[in-house]
Amino acid sequence: MAVAASRVATRRPARTRPRLPEQVAWLTPLLVIATLFFLWPVVNVIRLAFTDTTLLRDGYSYTLQTFSQTLTDPSLPQVLGVTAIFVGASVAGQLLFGLAIALILQRAVARRLHGAVLVRSVVLSAWVMPGILIGVIWQIVLNEGPFGLVNSALAAVGLGPVAFLSDTDLAVASAVTANIWRGTAFTMLLLYAALQTVNDELLDAAKVDGAGRMRTLWHVTLPQIRPVLLVNAILITIATLNTFDMILALTGGGPAQATEVLALRTYNSVFVNFNLASGCVFAVFLLGASLLLTVIYRRILREDDE
Amino acid sequence: MQGTRIAVLALAVAALAGCGDDEMTIDRIGHPDAPKTLRLQINASYSPQAPTPSIAEGFRELFLKWSRAHPEWRIDLNIIGSNEGTTEQARLLEKARIGEAPDCANVDSFTIPLFIEQGVLKPLDEHFTQAQLEDLFPHVRDVMTGPDGHVYAWWWSTDLRVIYRRTDLVPEAPRTWDELIEAAKQAQERDPKVEGYLFNAGRWEATTFDNLAYFWMQGGQLLGAEGEPVFAKGRNRKAMLNVFRLLKRTVDERVTPSRVTTFNTYDEFLTAAQGGTAAMFLGGSFQWPQLKEKLGKAFEQWDVSEIPGPRAGQTATGTGGWSVAAFSDDPEKVAACMDIVRTIYAGAGNELTGELPTSQRAFETLEAFQEPIFERFRRYLEHARPRPGLSIYPSLSNELQVAIGGVLTGSATPEEALDTAGKRVEQTYELLSGA
Repeated sequence: MAVAASRVATRRPARTRPRLPEQVAWLTPLLVIATLFFLWPVVNVIRLAFTDTTLLRDGYSYTLQTFSQTLTDPSLPQVLGVTAIFVGASVAGQLLFGLAIALILQRAVARRLHGAVLVRSVVLSAWVMPGILIGVIWQIVLNEGPFGLVNSALAAVGLGPVAFLSDTDLAVASAVTANIWRGTAFTMLLLYAALQTVNDELLDAAKVDGAGRMRTLWHVTLPQIRPVLLVNAILITIATLNTFDMILALTGGGPAQATEVLALRTYNSVFVNFNLASGCVFAVFLLGASLLLTVIYRRILREDDE
Repeated sequence: MQGTRIAVLALAVAALAGCGDDEMTIDRIGHPDAPKTLRLQINASYSPQAPTPSIAEGFRELFLKWSRAHPEWRIDLNIIGSNEGTTEQARLLEKARIGEAPDCANVDSFTIPLFIEQGVLKPLDEHFTQAQLEDLFPHVRDVMTGPDGHVYAWWWSTDLRVIYRRTDLVPEAPRTWDELIEAAKQAQERDPKVEGYLFNAGRWEATTFDNLAYFWMQGGQLLGAEGEPVFAKGRNRKAMLNVFRLLKRTVDERVTPSRVTTFNTYDEFLTAAQGGTAAMFLGGSFQWPQLKEKLGKAFEQWDVSEIPGPRAGQTATGTGGWSVAAFSDDPEKVAACMDIVRTIYAGAGNELTGELPTSQRAFETLEAFQEPIFERFRRYLEHARPRPGLSIYPSLSNELQVAIGGVLTGSATPEEALDTAGKRVEQTYELLSGA
């Protein structure tokens, strides 16, 4: 008791609110870095979205025309729809497969099975590869020529060829598959770490109460790792929204515009059309979508805490 | 194609493993402590990292030879992937406008006027003689020369589009569009394994450029006198719709597979030719030596002809190629850049890559171009047209790629696809021109 009291006594001065000059000294570097490298570029992108600036002209004037042209572009609903499907399906797939692999790995480690580290390393190798390389690899895998790996295998059993990349619907599914393959390792890594924090006593209690594996997973394990799941969902949603390199290498956005997601449209606006203002409008859409989804996830997280 | 991609992957792995010697690494040529530095940006296919092993080795030797003759220079390399060409030109232009461009770089021939208009290139007149200039094909000289009469880039390799065909399946060169489709059908009947006619239709520049030949041969104009887009208006509209309908017809009549909408490299044709699954394809003249190297004995079955027209005798083709231009303010670096052009690219580089020289004399003297086929290419060049070197072209090309993809996949009619492309290019033109 005396020891505890003395600890409280020694901690108390540290809890007093720092004086204003100290607060400023601590926060200034952070504020400077955040303003220079995050806030200023964001403000600039929003500002340029209301101009007619191009990559080829120095001057520009402020106008709402770029916004109105972009919003009335007949292909915009297609681009937004493909982006929603690509992001939604990729996030769901990555969460599902990431969790499944993390659970399998956890059981493998608990049973001291050989190869768990190898499996983890193999899955991680997909995550460390550049997006362009992943696009090229999946193009070889899904190529519709006689040399495409999947179509060759199908041909060997008298099936196919399947138009993985030239059919407008299947091309989106192929891009989602490649992105799930790429991002699953990140989810696996986070969830595997989260699974280590699940209280064993709770799992044992569920077992004693006669709960099966699925009920234990649903009612005990998932609620325990819910905060990590949500943070993970935020991170992979933002990463997927910003993905364009892999799609550029896999389909280039085609056939026609079937796989042209918002990030790729932004890139094309700036570097193909030289239309910096329109690229900024699309970037604002991307920023808005990321912020909106982050707010939704955070609200769910806060409700969870309460 | 797989071979090329595997070669690229192998090079990337080799790069990661750091397997370079002291004179040459993945991103440097010359001694690391050399007193002078030249930042050089080149396409992978014109570098020691070219996907074709013999070309890679050839450029490796040429660069090492240059480096040994100029030990005071270190070249810092920036290699650009083969399918990033068009967008990389936009990035290069943007870097040049803010003073961040490399000292010396590959510039796509059709973008030279755009770079000149933006005032980012250095004059090169003192590095070339009048005789050397006059020896170039006239259209090449015109593009390299700015409105002020100065030479701003050295266009060293050129090419053109032709119909490649397997003569055992298609003995006679098709002269009309109907003959093209009929010949493709007959080839498929002779050998059910083959695809009758392949062409680029994916989301990349060649989809527009290759197929523009069908538009130009009808007298179509992409841009008006002021550089305004006119390809979707009046007579040009009719010509472009004819092109879209022709391409759609090849797919509908099953002589072309729908997978052409996924093609984003010319290597697709080589792979199909290697696999014995292509009867005809619309490819580049630069593929002739590649085909020769990869097909071995089977190469004897292949021949080329001019692109057929709606009526016999009507033909056209697109010509492009690559130049080297200098961006540095330092005259020594500009001189080194042009020395590289003279000793590595113009002449030696043509022989190595098989890409046609822009010099008429080189056509006559370089050993690699003495085969009869090159005389035919030279003759075909008379019907060749370069793309308009204006800032609206990349946007126009992008929209035509989308339109062709839309027509071939059935997601748009030719009319809908052309109307959408026309409207969007018009909007971009208004913005770029400040209209």
